[in-house]
Amino acid sequence: MRKNIRVIKALIRLRFQNLMTFRIGFFGPFLVDGSLFVVQLMIFSAVYANVERIGSWGHGQMILYIGTFSLINAVNMVVYFFGISSIPWKVKSGEMDLYLTKPVSPLLRLSFERVNPGSIPLVLMSLVIIAYGVHKTGMEIGAGTVLSYLFWVGLMTLLYYDMEVMMRCVSFFLVSSAKMEQLEEACLELCMQLPGTVFYGVYKLIFCCVLPYGIMATVPVKSLVGECTPGTALHALIVTCVFTGITCALWKGGIRRYNSASS
Amino acid sequence: MRKYREIAKTYLKTQLAWRADVIFNMVFTVGRILFAFLLWRVIFAQKETVAGFTFHGMLSYYIISSFFTQLEMSHGISEEIAAEIRNGIFSKYIVIPVNVEGYFAAMELGVVLFYLFFDFAAAFIWIFLFGIEFAIIEDGLIIACALVMVLLGLFFMVQLNFFLGILTFKYEEISTFLMIKNNLAALVTGSIVPLALFPDTVVSFMRFLPFYYVTYLPSMLLTGRCADEAARGLAVLACWCVILQAAIGIAWRRYAKNYDGVGI
Repeated sequence: MRKNIRVIKALIRLRFQNLMTFRIGFFGPFLVDGSLFVVQLMIFSAVYANVERIGSWGHGQMILYIGTFSLINAVNMVVYFFGISSIPWKVKSGEMDLYLTKPVSPLLRLSFERVNPGSIPLVLMSLVIIAYGVHKTGMEIGAGTVLSYLFWVGLMTLLYYDMEVMMRCVSFFLVSSAKMEQLEEACLELCMQLPGTVFYGVYKLIFCCVLPYGIMATVPVKSLVGECTPGTALHALIVTCVFTGITCALWKGGIRRYNSASS
Repeated sequence: MRKYREIAKTYLKTQLAWRADVIFNMVFTVGRILFAFLLWRVIFAQKETVAGFTFHGMLSYYIISSFFTQLEMSHGISEEIAAEIRNGIFSKYIVIPVNVEGYFAAMELGVVLFYLFFDFAAAFIWIFLFGIEFAIIEDGLIIACALVMVLLGLFFMVQLNFFLGILTFKYEEISTFLMIKNNLAALVTGSIVPLALFPDTVVSFMRFLPFYYVTYLPSMLLTGRCADEAARGLAVLACWCVILQAAIGIAWRRYAKNYDGVGI
């Protein structure tokens, strides 16, 4: 454990040195994702100017939803996105060799070697959106609620990580994982705009169980507004555990199958 | 003109090499329709009409606008130009005896013509699958107006993306800006929600911008709304095309000489 923390620190230090070399793109991810979530806010402001509620959720809850999705996405962008997204290329080019021969977990190194401090403002922006959402709903928030919300955000960030790794593990088994990434992008785009509360029937099965992007921001928001039932909590816990297990198995299976360059 | 026709034909044929892309492109058109179906299904369970739309009217809007949005593939032009200038391989367009902007317009035409049929088929499948009572206007003049507007809108987007692409001569790295542009374009072209949902002052302002006429107004015209805006829309969009053509000319003359063909 102590060794892993030392490795993570070293990776972050190296990344900072690298980013200082290419300063122009430093805040790029923040500006791109920031604009995306501002657009979401504008869209739902327009929708709520015409309707009072979407299902059981008012404008405040929807702002909380957008803020929470933005927060999970921001943590993803700051910590592991750029590292994980390079997996398919590293498999294809044989660069994964360099990770397998080092005395540290390859996945740990991949997850932390390309942290992006330029996305930290995105975390702050998400917190502002969440604060605005809380103000809009007019709720009184206690310490217990905040802790429970943070617990769910943490757990859903893990689920987000699992999904990201899983989608890229496909590159160990197929020539190209581009279509899986396209599928991931399409699901994220959809679930970024739609809370899990609007899914029903087969759509609920797909987006809450098979490709569980639909629960990622919904569960934390439900816990914050006091709508999280034991059933919802249990479902979220089971889904996260199952997907973490599948991700571990896929990663291990993929590494075993990896044949160096042109795998 | 023949050489541009050949370029369009070549790109049309090139699309056949990536057949899986065609199928995935068709399947992913469902994203916007599914978003609209799930969101508006919940909203219309509580209300009969929203901003003058009925449930099926709203879904018809999304079917048409998503069809046009899917056809609008010119964002690849700015990305391609930017990457090729940065890698020093943009020279291949400069050394052939064609107008570079014309080359990209012909390329876009070839790609659009290829996807036209598949996007049309996808729209039919979604109408059937989601059980949409599709509403489309029958007035031939309005349909003609909407189609001309779409063509002009597609040309405008080619111009815009070509213009942004050649800015790489000057600014070297524009990929962040292009991604922000894509996010904002989705909002102002009305491809996520109809612009009619926005306050009147915002919509009035948007009428001065070209994006209002790229997918939003043609979709509204085809669903039988905003007919009074058709003629003005064509005029505004044509003016923007002229303005942008002038901007392209200035930018090309000023910045293309910075290009040395060895990459950045």
